[in-house]
Amino acid sequence: MSRDTPVRPPTPAAAPPEPGARRAAAGRRRRASRTEARNARAAAGFLLPFLALFGLCFLAPIGYALRTSLQRTERTGPLGLGGQEHEVFAGLANYAQALADDRFLAGFGRVLLFGAVQIPLMTLLATGLALLLESAAARGITFFRSAFFLPYGVPGVIASILWGFLYVPGISPLVKIAQSVGWNVDFLSRGSVLWSLANIVTWQFTGYTMLVLIAQLKAVPGELYEAARIDGANAWQVARHIKLPMIRPALVLTCVFSIIGTLQLFAEPMVLRPLSSAIDSGYTPNLHAYSEAFVGNNQQLAAAEAVLLALVACAASFGFLRLVGGHGKERG
Amino acid sequence: MTSSDATSGGTGGGGTAGGAPRRRTVLGGAAGAAAGLALAGCGAGPDGGAPKERKKGQRISLTFWSWVPGIDKPVDLWNRRNPEVQVRVEKVSAVNGQQYAKMHAAIKAGNPPDLGQIEFPVIPGFLLDNGLRDLAPLGAARHRDKFVGWQWQQSVFGKGVYAIPQASGPMGLFVRKDLFDRWEVQVPGTWDEYEAAAKAIRRHGAWIDTFAPTNGNRFAGLAWQAGAAWYATRGDTWIVHLDDGPTRKVADYWESLVRQRLVKTIPDRQNAWYKDIQTGAIPAWVGASWGDALLAGNAPGTKGKWRAAALPQWRPGGRAYANWGGSTTAVFAQAAYPRDALDFAVWLNTDPQSLALLIAGGYGFPAARTGYAPAALDADKDFFGGQAYSRVFADAGAHVDTRWRWGPGVDTLYQRLGDAFTEALADGSSFRSVLRKVQGQTVADLKGKGLKVESGG
Amino acid sequence: MTRPPLRHRIITNALLAVAALYFLVPVYWLIVSATKNSADLFGTFGFWFSRHPHPLRYLTEVLTYDHGVYARWFANSLLYAGIGAVCATLMSAAAGYALAKFPFRGRETIFNVVLAGVLIPGTALALPLYFLFSAMGLANTYWAVLIPSTVSPFGVYLCRIYAAAAVPDSLLEAARIDGAGEARIFGGLGLRLMTPALVTVFLFQFVHIWNNYFLPLVMLSDSDLYPVQLGLTSWTGYADRQPVLYQYTVGGALLSVLPLMVLMTVLQRYWRTGLTEGSVKS
Repeated sequence: MSRDTPVRPPTPAAAPPEPGARRAAAGRRRRASRTEARNARAAAGFLLPFLALFGLCFLAPIGYALRTSLQRTERTGPLGLGGQEHEVFAGLANYAQALADDRFLAGFGRVLLFGAVQIPLMTLLATGLALLLESAAARGITFFRSAFFLPYGVPGVIASILWGFLYVPGISPLVKIAQSVGWNVDFLSRGSVLWSLANIVTWQFTGYTMLVLIAQLKAVPGELYEAARIDGANAWQVARHIKLPMIRPALVLTCVFSIIGTLQLFAEPMVLRPLSSAIDSGYTPNLHAYSEAFVGNNQQLAAAEAVLLALVACAASFGFLRLVGGHGKERG
Repeated sequence: MTSSDATSGGTGGGGTAGGAPRRRTVLGGAAGAAAGLALAGCGAGPDGGAPKERKKGQRISLTFWSWVPGIDKPVDLWNRRNPEVQVRVEKVSAVNGQQYAKMHAAIKAGNPPDLGQIEFPVIPGFLLDNGLRDLAPLGAARHRDKFVGWQWQQSVFGKGVYAIPQASGPMGLFVRKDLFDRWEVQVPGTWDEYEAAAKAIRRHGAWIDTFAPTNGNRFAGLAWQAGAAWYATRGDTWIVHLDDGPTRKVADYWESLVRQRLVKTIPDRQNAWYKDIQTGAIPAWVGASWGDALLAGNAPGTKGKWRAAALPQWRPGGRAYANWGGSTTAVFAQAAYPRDALDFAVWLNTDPQSLALLIAGGYGFPAARTGYAPAALDADKDFFGGQAYSRVFADAGAHVDTRWRWGPGVDTLYQRLGDAFTEALADGSSFRSVLRKVQGQTVADLKGKGLKVESGG
Repeated sequence: MTRPPLRHRIITNALLAVAALYFLVPVYWLIVSATKNSADLFGTFGFWFSRHPHPLRYLTEVLTYDHGVYARWFANSLLYAGIGAVCATLMSAAAGYALAKFPFRGRETIFNVVLAGVLIPGTALALPLYFLFSAMGLANTYWAVLIPSTVSPFGVYLCRIYAAAAVPDSLLEAARIDGAGEARIFGGLGLRLMTPALVTVFLFQFVHIWNNYFLPLVMLSDSDLYPVQLGLTSWTGYADRQPVLYQYTVGGALLSVLPLMVLMTVLQRYWRTGLTEGSVKS
């Protein structure tokens, strides 16, 4: 899973600057339209390289996937072997099939549950660590910050292989230690494996989220703290009433990207699957789509599932933004 | 790219119906051909449209996708001996069957390699894509007698020959002889005795094996041994018969072992399982011939304590065996020089020196009848206490039920089986319900692929 | 500033230490395990060394196995991540700058479409992209991984909001009145003012490409072109037959993680100061 959570620059302008031309008087309209044309030309020059490659690497494949999701294959020839293959228009049949698949839907239920627990927990942990590191009481800040951030440098696949070793009974030193104190723990059982996955994600991304928050905290002018302290506020009150509101926009955005990342959960369950009898091929929606495309060679159904996944991700992110009052939507 | 000197620009449609498939047009630029724009008919049509022939002295390069470590050794040998036909190995990742996904995608994209390592069960899936070249028109039949009969048959569909067999995996039973002796457990000859042994072993705190819910391969092998026939054809219709008598017998048997808690249900050939194999917590394994290297490599501390025995039988004195694993060297349909590719595939799997290198690499039982010293197969003799264990597997290989056929979509079938067994283990539903369910799903899957299919029964 | 009470300091640092333990234990395991062979990997206690630790020997074996293919993977990873991140950063900067500083019709539409690109799972794009690149004859080449790596919608997003905040319009107008061309203004003024955001985009994109597994998996078949992650997982695929590969995978994982961890530790300081400086400016 990849999570590219944006770091907001500390204090961006709340809205794009109004084009001067718009405010211009009617008599200056001709000059304004010249400005607009010049703007468009210059912008086109700057945008072109990115947009060309964005079109190639995002829009074209998305278009292709959309088209594929509306098709099905027909075959002729005895036993379908050595015959002809036609792709014919299938309407929404693939979407209907995906939505009728209990396992696909169960995967959604699973990642939503995962997100409902893991995202708040990780955000809480990251916020706590950020506040602790930024508090005057902390020592060895550089060491701690590096230690917390270090797992972000471990790729998802490798992190999962690594934790896999720490989960498997008989090999895992963690299990061994737990057993020695009489706790019979099984990280890979049906009931626990979802949370074992959540742990891997938390391990990887907490430090990263924390660093984003620290960057935002650093932007709080020091005088604000001093003033609060002179007013008699204690450390907790400073954190609660000054720091938290300051990092709220950053929190909202890390959450949005966590939501998208969670819905697209893939590498972790894929790597742990051979280790656990509790992870099936449709454990998460993304894994389900991958299995359809790469094992079942049914790219049409997989494309429909991916489109559904994107729609849900879209709905969930915007739903979340609405829920928190649209604070994260401000743009420069 | 398929061949270094041929740029595949795009693919035409498939060919027409008939025993021999496909007529593909590949925009290929042959070395020496003017401007590389010769429109070459690159497949044998139904009436045998000529494949491209290498001119004498022309140097070509073939690409070969494989994932087995060390395959480059025999290939290097070939390249030294055949300077005109250089073979280039590209090692593709084989995690979770990804290599086949890549091959399917490459076929669709029009740039598959010339040759590929393909296991028996997935051959029909590639035929659906028109992905493999029929080698029969190239005279493949004359090589038939060089190979074990049933293995050759694995890649014969209709009149077509679609791959050259490389190796198989006759099944057998590996046991920790020392523990069996110490616990006074007989090495079981029948499945009834196996259950009794399981109980005895359980009394010593160990488990005779694991029933890994996601291991469809082994379950298929056990059903195969019991006389099942999951796939059959009638006219132009596929018959799927997963839920048949023999398979039910196997399912019932393992369900009973699971319910009596006589076997574990952890995944096999994974970290936890290796650990159990090392410590004797699991002192036996229903495996296959290629398991020798796997055990020797992963449990070196148990050297000398293992033995191989025949797969337990349903009938006392029976000799019914099955196969687990096994692969071929196939030529892809878009290969520009199929004749040279075929020559390489046959050489790779019959030449004594190549076979020696393959065996040393631990590939399993050669599909070739001759050309190797059977003793060479006992590579881990010391690990098995000096036992000439390959004889056990050679005997099994000679008695594999040859009626078994694979059908399209076996990977999906395994996945469905794994998912359903996983669920059954969790919610306690019966293994028979697994068979019913997967039977229905498989029929639907094949229909979804645009095939005519019926449920056997 | 007064020192916080002792009790606060103890609790704070104890909590930090517990968290550090959580984040470091798996790394510690990785270091310990890299000194073990496959048998000891499964057979000995994971948090302590086996009786015969061989750190150097096993790591050397990782580097020399299969004609040193690991070193090649490592170099490939550096190439993909380095070049990809530089290109992505420059293009994102230009696009973000344009979106922030040049009002024109359709600007918001373009921005929203770019943002929506993040919503589509990469696994869904990989196959269509493969077909596309195959048609262009680019599949199984360095380009197949490099080109998609240079596109960063997130980078555009970040550069836009940063440019809007940190590049004052008045400065641009002044430069224009001086007769400077748009390209020169961007190259000379815009890029300089946007430096903190660029460092961030570069780092994120570098890590993103370095960690990317799926795109190279789909695009590449020649293991000589593999990046480290893909190569390592391909080893686990053969480990059945060659158990020594388990040990190599663990050793290789350590080697692949170390430089990135060092990079992260060193660069996070610049990264943070960079962003903080930006805040001072605006």
